[in-house]
Amino acid sequence: MIASVAVVGHQNNPLYLQSFTNANDALKLHHIVHCSLDVIDERVNNPKRSVSTLNESYLGLLYPTESYKVYGYLSNTKAKFLVVTTDLDVKDADIRSFFRRFHAAYVDAVSNPFHVPEKKIVSRTFAQRVSGIVKAFAAGTNG
Amino acid sequence: MEDYPEELRTPPISLVSVVGCPELHQTISSFLHAEQPPINTLALPDFSKISVLSRKQKDPLSSSHSAAGILKRDWLSKHRTRVPAAVAALFRVDCVTGDPAQWLQVCTDLENLKAVLHGRGIKLIVILVQTYANEDVNEDLKITLRKRAEIDAKYLMMLVQDDTPELKQSLTRLSSTLAELCNTYYREEGRKIRIRIEKRSFSSVELNIRYCFKVAVFAEFRRDWAEALRFYEEAYRALREMIATSTRLPPVQRLVEIRAVAEQLFFKISTLLLHGGKVEEAIAWFNRHFNSYKHLVGLDEVSFLHWDWLSRQFLVFAELLETSSAAIPNTLSSHFGTPESSLTEWEIQPAYYYQLAANYLREKRYCLDNLLSTGDSEFSRTSGKVPESVMPSVFIGQSARLVEQGDMIEVLPLSDAEYVQYALSEAQRFQDSYEIIALFRKACESFTNLKAPRLASLCSNRMAKEYFFTEDFTDAKKLFDTVSSLYRQEGWVTLLWESLGYLQECSIRLDSAKDFIEYSLEMASLPIFANGDQEIPDSKREYGPAGLPSQSRREALQSEVLSLVRGEEIVSRTDRGCSIAVTKEQPVRIDVDIISPLRMVLLVSVAFHDQSVKPGSPVMFTLSLVSQLPCSIEVDELEIEFNQPKCNFIIINAVEEISAARSNGDNQDVRIETAPSIVLPTNKWLRLTYDVKSDQSGKLECLSVTARIGKSFKICCQAESPASMEDLPFWKFEGMVQTFPTKDPVLSFSGQKVIQVEEPDPEVDLILNASSPALVGESFVVPLTVIPRGHEVYSGELKINLVDARGGGLLMSPRETDPFSSGNHHVELISISRMGDDDESRIHSDKIKKIQQSFGVVSVPDLRVGDKWSCKLEIKWHKPKSVMLYASLGYSPNSAEAARVNVHRSLQIEGKIPISITHTFMMPFRREPLLLSKVKSLPGADQNVYLALNETSILIVTARNSSEVPLRVKSMMIQSNSNKNETPYSIQHVGGVSADDSLLVPGGEFKGVFSVRPKIDSPNLELGSVCLNWNRDLTLSDSEDSGVVTEQKLPAVIVEQSPLVVSLEFPPHAILGIPFLFYIKVSNQTNLLQEIKYSLGDTQSFVFCGPHDNAGFILPKMEYVMSYKLVPLCSGSQQLPQATITSLRYSAALNPSVTATTIFVYPSEPNFFVADNEKETILAKLNL
Repeated sequence: MIASVAVVGHQNNPLYLQSFTNANDALKLHHIVHCSLDVIDERVNNPKRSVSTLNESYLGLLYPTESYKVYGYLSNTKAKFLVVTTDLDVKDADIRSFFRRFHAAYVDAVSNPFHVPEKKIVSRTFAQRVSGIVKAFAAGTNG
Repeated sequence: MEDYPEELRTPPISLVSVVGCPELHQTISSFLHAEQPPINTLALPDFSKISVLSRKQKDPLSSSHSAAGILKRDWLSKHRTRVPAAVAALFRVDCVTGDPAQWLQVCTDLENLKAVLHGRGIKLIVILVQTYANEDVNEDLKITLRKRAEIDAKYLMMLVQDDTPELKQSLTRLSSTLAELCNTYYREEGRKIRIRIEKRSFSSVELNIRYCFKVAVFAEFRRDWAEALRFYEEAYRALREMIATSTRLPPVQRLVEIRAVAEQLFFKISTLLLHGGKVEEAIAWFNRHFNSYKHLVGLDEVSFLHWDWLSRQFLVFAELLETSSAAIPNTLSSHFGTPESSLTEWEIQPAYYYQLAANYLREKRYCLDNLLSTGDSEFSRTSGKVPESVMPSVFIGQSARLVEQGDMIEVLPLSDAEYVQYALSEAQRFQDSYEIIALFRKACESFTNLKAPRLASLCSNRMAKEYFFTEDFTDAKKLFDTVSSLYRQEGWVTLLWESLGYLQECSIRLDSAKDFIEYSLEMASLPIFANGDQEIPDSKREYGPAGLPSQSRREALQSEVLSLVRGEEIVSRTDRGCSIAVTKEQPVRIDVDIISPLRMVLLVSVAFHDQSVKPGSPVMFTLSLVSQLPCSIEVDELEIEFNQPKCNFIIINAVEEISAARSNGDNQDVRIETAPSIVLPTNKWLRLTYDVKSDQSGKLECLSVTARIGKSFKICCQAESPASMEDLPFWKFEGMVQTFPTKDPVLSFSGQKVIQVEEPDPEVDLILNASSPALVGESFVVPLTVIPRGHEVYSGELKINLVDARGGGLLMSPRETDPFSSGNHHVELISISRMGDDDESRIHSDKIKKIQQSFGVVSVPDLRVGDKWSCKLEIKWHKPKSVMLYASLGYSPNSAEAARVNVHRSLQIEGKIPISITHTFMMPFRREPLLLSKVKSLPGADQNVYLALNETSILIVTARNSSEVPLRVKSMMIQSNSNKNETPYSIQHVGGVSADDSLLVPGGEFKGVFSVRPKIDSPNLELGSVCLNWNRDLTLSDSEDSGVVTEQKLPAVIVEQSPLVVSLEFPPHAILGIPFLFYIKVSNQTNLLQEIKYSLGDTQSFVFCGPHDNAGFILPKMEYVMSYKLVPLCSGSQQLPQATITSLRYSAALNPSVTATTIFVYPSEPNFFVADNEKETILAKLNL
């Protein structure tokens, strides 16, 4: 199950952060997402990365905590997408496709002519669409 | 890891025993220990001590029941220190070969030894020690001894004690034999147990685990790491299966035992994996281990034991990882996050595990605290007493109680209740917080070094919480401050909220009302809109003292702060005895600058409506305030501060009594304004517009606005210009309505908090006048007048500056090398003199402060209204140039004030060349000398003038007025350059217009005629220069000046001796029909005979007699005359017949010019009346 999704701006400022758990772990998830940014920085700036992964948006598993796993994705405009899951065994392809849809939703949201870059996204349509993608992901992995 | 016993932490080392010959033990044991792999030695000095090797009596503490536990605590150390794999019995050769009694003793010792070793698989080796190499032992004796000892021949060895090379060889042989025997022993021991496992001939799972463990340890003795790993893993698996099935012990202790054994097994497994360089496998194993046990919390009463155990797992693994970090390959990092690697960056870092160890230790502390604080656990009710004499039992992970019954010591098992009490009392003895802090610090430092600032700050955050818990508020505050600055910078509101909540509480505990207010206000103004009605019970633990971030919490915080600043007391949430208050004696003032996070609380934007203002006249000034606090906030007083303190003013809330507001008597003279109400609603600009008046010219800037709330709280905000105002970093939301500080959008985009107060308007006239262009060479005078109109002039200073009107500034030629000589300046300010003085006295030199070629400063006397002061600026042009003349007068309008007023005037003045001088040379009329070089020179090749030696030439000088003003020419003369009295030529003024003050209108010309007679033959004869003395027809100054001399140099001329001179002679006029004589005279000036040819052409106007063509010779210094008689046939101006004279010697021909051969023919005799004396004068002049 996806616990939380986040979009982080290129100044590492949160643009959108939504938890999908009922439990009182919002703060914990915030901490997890925030700490995962270190891994993104490390991966993006690491010169030792192999060529095949250099130009890829999908950054893979970032940060395993005891009960969560964090996956990352970096757009060309340096917007960072993060997903925190409680599933400890997720297929790479599922996560990739999730990020592609998440990215597309974000692109649509910021294509709004009234959107100002680097401002927090509060669009309800975006939130609904992300919830939809999260639900579809849950259905896909369970089924 | 340090808590583990030595035998667990280090790989096992084979043990052998040596008996007899104690003098050799040291040599043998150190040699064996230095071998690779090393062998430990248990040295027994003589055979009476062999009982230590015998099988021990059962330990009184151990249970007789074979499966009372899983692993025995001392089994490992037993095999490492007490049970040798082989025994070496040493006998001296002389004992064997000596008398029968000695031989008998040897046999007895051997028998005893065999008895001890019987049935245990321990190998025996017999060594005969020789003192010298030549001591020989009978072969039969050896065989007998071997048979006694029941050993193979190769296990009977000789050792030569005193022969070093021989001894070394023997020892090498001994060590390899012992190593082989050890290997055999451990293999056999392992095999025996393995058979039991394979046949499953064990009664319980415990034994299975024990057997697997033993096989693994024996394999480790043999350095068979693969087998060791396999059996440890097998033991671990069996143990995991046991959790649900075993019922041997009470449930709490059962779990404790299983966890203890699992810990030991996992330690072995991870050590083997990490030392083998299999980092990824080790980490995977660790994750498996963690996942297997993380949910095995057990009963609530003992959950702290679980967390403690879990924390230890992380700590030990971190330490293992740290010690084997050299084994981690570098290539690992290149494929993190890719499908081929399940690892991520931090999982190979010990810091990651340290941090988690600290987290679980925190969990343990939390559980323990909970348990102790409730204090009504079932266990404490049932048995409130902590059992005495509890000690570890013989089995790993078990505890037992010792009970003395008379002389007997009995070991009794513990009940779970007793065990829990015991564990609780043990746990209370430790200060976990210090360890938690130490672990977090370690992790934080590592993450900082790994350039992971966010993980480091998470650790700092946790560390700070722990300090907070231990009530070390100073350290906690320091750490929270660092952490919150990162969250603030990156805009993580929820994380910041948590830290600020702690900081707020720290401030109360440290009794700092100012900090408390700052943190509370920042929290209250954070963009949190969550509806926090449903309070989750655990939120205090999760979010700290601040609780769940919500809109209602923000509102509560705001009202809390406002009540504090209005005099109420705030009590700490964690300690009811601690409180803070704001009193009149200790007022609180908060400063907010443009980078302060408190800009969200109060943001002040100020804008003047104009960019500049006249002194003394009012300008509109808008003050806009906005606050993001969740509720409206009422301000009692606003104090606006400018850089000119006279402009400061105070705005008072009309509700407040002015007298109350003015209780402070310091600033009685400050202007006070009243506003109906100063209330700041959330995110809505409060705009106040007032007039501001400044009398002081210069910059007027609004510095800050201080809001007073209550009697003793002030918040001082740095004023910002709307044009350059930054957004609030946290309040950036899509769709949030953008508001402007001022109603006028133009002002919002361009308004400034600074205004320029202009200088007061000058009320003094400064008049500069120049009626006409200046002429080069003259002293051009520009009158300047200062007339005070409204101001009086005090300490006035007049600055004059000359600047090139076409730019470039400097009024001098760049080519000139010496810029300081006055001659190099094209335009020069010569003097500034008072006008109206009777004499021409200049201003005293002390009054002229500075005067340079193009710049001058002069002081102006004090003037009252109605006075007048004038001066003349005398400027001289050296080159024609257009010049800007700047005059600026600075003065004080009254004697006391320092503020100065400046008046500026400028005037462009053209500098022009007044007169252009040209000249021409001519020969006397109808006289033509032959100048050979002139003939030879190509026409037009050079412009040189050729003059004939000792012949008179005519020089005509023309001066043309090229200016626009009428001039008067006073005189014109040629001035010789040479100083000698005797000039090489003579010049005389012979004619032209009279030079006495002749008027030269613009464009008019003045001509002077001079006769020139060179006296020497020279190719380069300087004739001097033309000097023209002139002045303006209408002089500018009153004084009569002596005129300006314009001088122009004449070019040098070439003078040469002319060999022949031709002159034409005929009357000035002729009369129709009357013959006249026409002579062509050729004078030979040389000493040579000259041959000439001449001809005269026909013409219609004349008939003549004489030869058409002829030739002749001229004697030296003689003259040849050709005479013709001509009769004019036509009247009017007529051309004489064309004459051509050719010199054969010089091949030069002369054709007299048309003007020279023109004659006017009257139709009849004219009548002239010329006075005799005039005739003479004219003739005289002509003859010159």
